[in-house]
Amino acid sequence: MSDPHTPATTVDVDDPNVDRFELVREGARRDGVEIVHYAPRFPVPGTKEEKRVERSIALCLLITGIAGIAFVVIYGFWQWEFVQGGTTYAWFTPLLGTTLGLALLGIGAAIIIWAKKLLPEEVAIQDRHDGGSDPVEAKLTAATILNMVDETGIRRRPLLKVALLLGAAPLGVAIVEPLVGGLIKRPHPSHGVSPLFSTGFKEGVRLVREDGTPIRPAEISEGGLETVFPGIPGGTTNEYADSPTLLIHLREADARQVQPRTTFPSKATAEQRALLSDAAHGAFYAYSKICTHAGCPASLYEQQTQRMLCPCHQSQFNVLDHCRPVFGPATRPLPQLPITVDGEGYFVAKSDYLEAIGPAFWERP
Amino acid sequence: MTASAAAPWGDRFRRSSGILALLLALGVMGGFYAAFAPKSYAEEGSSSSADVTDGQKLFATGCASCHGRNAQGIKDRGPSLVGVGASSVEFQVSSGRMPLARQEAQAQRKPPRYTDEETKQLAAYVQSLGGGPQLPAGNVLRDGDLAQGGRLFRTNCASCHSFSSNGGALSSGKFAPSLEHATDRQIYAAMQSGPQNMPVFGDAQLTPQEKQSIIKFVQSLKAEKDPGGMGIGRTGPVPEGLVIFLIGLVVLLFAAVWIAGKS
Repeated sequence: MSDPHTPATTVDVDDPNVDRFELVREGARRDGVEIVHYAPRFPVPGTKEEKRVERSIALCLLITGIAGIAFVVIYGFWQWEFVQGGTTYAWFTPLLGTTLGLALLGIGAAIIIWAKKLLPEEVAIQDRHDGGSDPVEAKLTAATILNMVDETGIRRRPLLKVALLLGAAPLGVAIVEPLVGGLIKRPHPSHGVSPLFSTGFKEGVRLVREDGTPIRPAEISEGGLETVFPGIPGGTTNEYADSPTLLIHLREADARQVQPRTTFPSKATAEQRALLSDAAHGAFYAYSKICTHAGCPASLYEQQTQRMLCPCHQSQFNVLDHCRPVFGPATRPLPQLPITVDGEGYFVAKSDYLEAIGPAFWERP
Repeated sequence: MTASAAAPWGDRFRRSSGILALLLALGVMGGFYAAFAPKSYAEEGSSSSADVTDGQKLFATGCASCHGRNAQGIKDRGPSLVGVGASSVEFQVSSGRMPLARQEAQAQRKPPRYTDEETKQLAAYVQSLGGGPQLPAGNVLRDGDLAQGGRLFRTNCASCHSFSSNGGALSSGKFAPSLEHATDRQIYAAMQSGPQNMPVFGDAQLTPQEKQSIIKFVQSLKAEKDPGGMGIGRTGPVPEGLVIFLIGLVVLLFAAVWIAGKS
């Protein structure tokens, strides 16, 4: 180091006469840091200016204390429960934020003032080293690591190599399995229809409201719609989260514009095609509420422009064209549920949906 | 009873023809109804033939250019109003959406052009054309259950008007409006008549009591204070994050620069 500030002499740490600051300076120097300037802010203690700084720090800490106490008291005793039409509870969160913020601001200001106004002025210089590691150091480290591998003798002991693999690999699986295994769910039951391809609807199941009441055609006005669920036990719960259906009553003039269906699910049988061709009941159409793009509830119904919108990614379906997608990322139409009315005049499904509802998945035909 | 069925909504403005009609009704109904006369009077008068005539005059000058001389509609300008009902007229006119300022994606709320009285006359005229849904009497329509209203709002309304009733986007420049300025009668009328692209929620689907529950919920939602301090549009974490990012971060940045600059 050829820094001009560096004192030429080095300190003898065993010398009993060396004062403490000299030891501090020496310690820093051995770490590559040279303290070149060091002076107290207030060489004469007890001046007016020093007292003033002390007082402002004390004030900041006092603010912190008061705000902190206020926080604790408010957190413990302020009325926080919702009361209809009330205002006191609405101040709970803002007051917590204000008092805690004030407390943190106070202690932060105190620390900054303390550090800038009371701690001694100090200028220290630390040399910066350039480039990569010392090549000699790198060579020595590499040799040490390679030596460790050689010491195990794994290269010339193939039995141990295989044994290590066979022993450690299952242990690794044992650790990963409980973490990852919970995420894997077999979608196909060993018997019956896969839930991926079926919903809560089947032939004769009533279309019901969220509260379980069945619906007559007269109960939905022209230009109206209702979200309906399968009328089976648990039909409105998350167990049948794939079943919500939109029951739409088209206006007469709109219903006349609906053309006979020409596109069918790829593997539909002749019987299923016949069902789908006659899926509507008069001007009542039932379509899956689950968007075919990402499974959001696509239920924003524009009753004049006859679009069904999905709020998540702005997919739009043309209700007059069997909910064919006309805009946005969805590529498949919303599946239609074949409906009719039963003997008592309530809406029922004629069958389950004839294709998988919701987004595509890899084994979907 | 016949009088109230013909004119279920209220009117604060007395008209001489209304009194005549009332006297006539009283004569028919007999003395029994005399005790209720002051109440039922408020529900009457508005659909008197004078109102229909006055409404027709207003219609001819203000609405006929788009909706046609006899409200039969003009292609590409305005739809037929036969059968839309007084409810639809009251919604569109009292919220200022009609008369339309210009042809655009959808009519927007603006200061109403017609007084309450004139709105009622227009409504009476349109009602006389082909019937349709009508509003119940009274300006406060909140005789319902708040919790039920909340459930129904989330099932039927929130998909377009958002959970906070602040509205949301639809396709091609259309939008579900915020309910911030909507009155009880306007919300009721909107559900009954399905204005513009809003679906119709007829009385068979949402009963009058359920409608009032929904209105009670919406109005209490608007009246409640925001528990977190500032609502920032009540549209959720995106604008809140933006405010923190743009304002909070900039303030902190300048504070840091200021502290560093002092040393």
